[in-house]
Amino acid sequence: MNELERVVVVGASLAGTTVVDTLRRLGYAGSVTLIGAERHPAYNRPALSKGVVAGTDGLDDIVLPPPSGEVDQLIGTPAVALHADRKEVVLAGGDRIRYDGLVIATGARARRLADLGAADPGVQETTFRDLDDAHRLSALLATRPHVVIVGAGILGMELASACVDRGATVTVVDRQPPLLGQLGPYLADLLITAAARRRVRFAHHPGGVRLRGTSGPPAVELADGRRFAGDHVLSAVGCAAETGWLASSGLAGAHGLVVDTRCRVAPGIVAAGDVVAFPSAAGPRRTPWWHSALEQARTAARALLHGDDAPPLTPSPYFWTDQFGMRVRVAGLLPAAGRPAVVDGSLPDDEPWAGSALLRWPGRGVAAAVNRRIPIGRLRALAQLEPAGT
Amino acid sequence: MRVSVDRDRCEGYGLCAEEASHLMHLDDDGELVLDRAEVPPESSDAVEAAVRVCPVAALKVS
Repeated sequence: MNELERVVVVGASLAGTTVVDTLRRLGYAGSVTLIGAERHPAYNRPALSKGVVAGTDGLDDIVLPPPSGEVDQLIGTPAVALHADRKEVVLAGGDRIRYDGLVIATGARARRLADLGAADPGVQETTFRDLDDAHRLSALLATRPHVVIVGAGILGMELASACVDRGATVTVVDRQPPLLGQLGPYLADLLITAAARRRVRFAHHPGGVRLRGTSGPPAVELADGRRFAGDHVLSAVGCAAETGWLASSGLAGAHGLVVDTRCRVAPGIVAAGDVVAFPSAAGPRRTPWWHSALEQARTAARALLHGDDAPPLTPSPYFWTDQFGMRVRVAGLLPAAGRPAVVDGSLPDDEPWAGSALLRWPGRGVAAAVNRRIPIGRLRALAQLEPAGT
Repeated sequence: MRVSVDRDRCEGYGLCAEEASHLMHLDDDGELVLDRAEVPPESSDAVEAAVRVCPVAALKVS
């Protein structure tokens, strides 16, 4: 077992703070240094696309308690390089921080259409990721503008919901039909029906989307030539692992920081959260969700202290979204193919917002609760229930 | 230290109860029940961890 005296955690959001909590709970008594890039103290990120955009939450409502116990916090000081051979993290400004054990929890940044080669040179592109973005969008919505959102995934749809709640009109444009790739056909249809009721308009074309124009708000163009202009255009086309600072370390690949099933990157280095590509049947995959960050952080802390004696992580995916008056929670691996069995309740096809139900996809290990509360453990048990007679 | 739950925010995810199972649990309807509002000193770390994992920032300590 390693004898650790100095643990450095790079990234001060959910994954980073959960690693610190877990290390202390496991009895680690050495020093902890927590390094955060943002100028704000750690806050609850899921609230951004909800209460903060709605204008009902400020930083005080969503700020997280500071880390428990003795922790040296360096907030507003991004790490800019890692020298793994010397066990040093280099901060913006040049300070070098030594570690025995390193936790990488730098999360992800908003991906841009420009990164994907889908924007005209010089085009002004707005994304949504942090508290400053949420405040900016909240202020823009005061004039009840028309907003064009590029990206019909989870974030794009949650933003569309928050925008129409503030009186904006919204068009959502994507390469793919809304939510289909993320949730599967049944849950996607449910939420599209609820969005259409709020007059959200949708457009998609498999040939892709492009941002056009070099001054003022850009226009969004689909491959078939349809153009969409708005007072504001928002890109919500996924996120990319925040690994730029690891470039010279050779640790990070093109799709994130690959870890083993104990969230280990290299000797003395573990990682957790949105930055991580975790082993799956289809190869290393990023799962940038709240619950993944939690279970990876707990695993990473154990692995840092106990190495091979730490239990490997078997992910138990848990996902939720709130949009257009619908609350959907899912246990199991998404997207869920096919139509579910209704275990309890009902969801009218034409007005699903009026119903509530427990659903399961037999044989697929997936269950969902729509518009109702259920403890996470019970939803998981429902997902894993085998069909009667098999 | 005291812990309180904002009922308007709480949606019964139950992640807090995984962090501090000796102080809070979900009842059969998925409602969070705080078993002790006054947090014993030895449990303050667990309760702060519970506050941090709440996806809707419904728990507060004071």
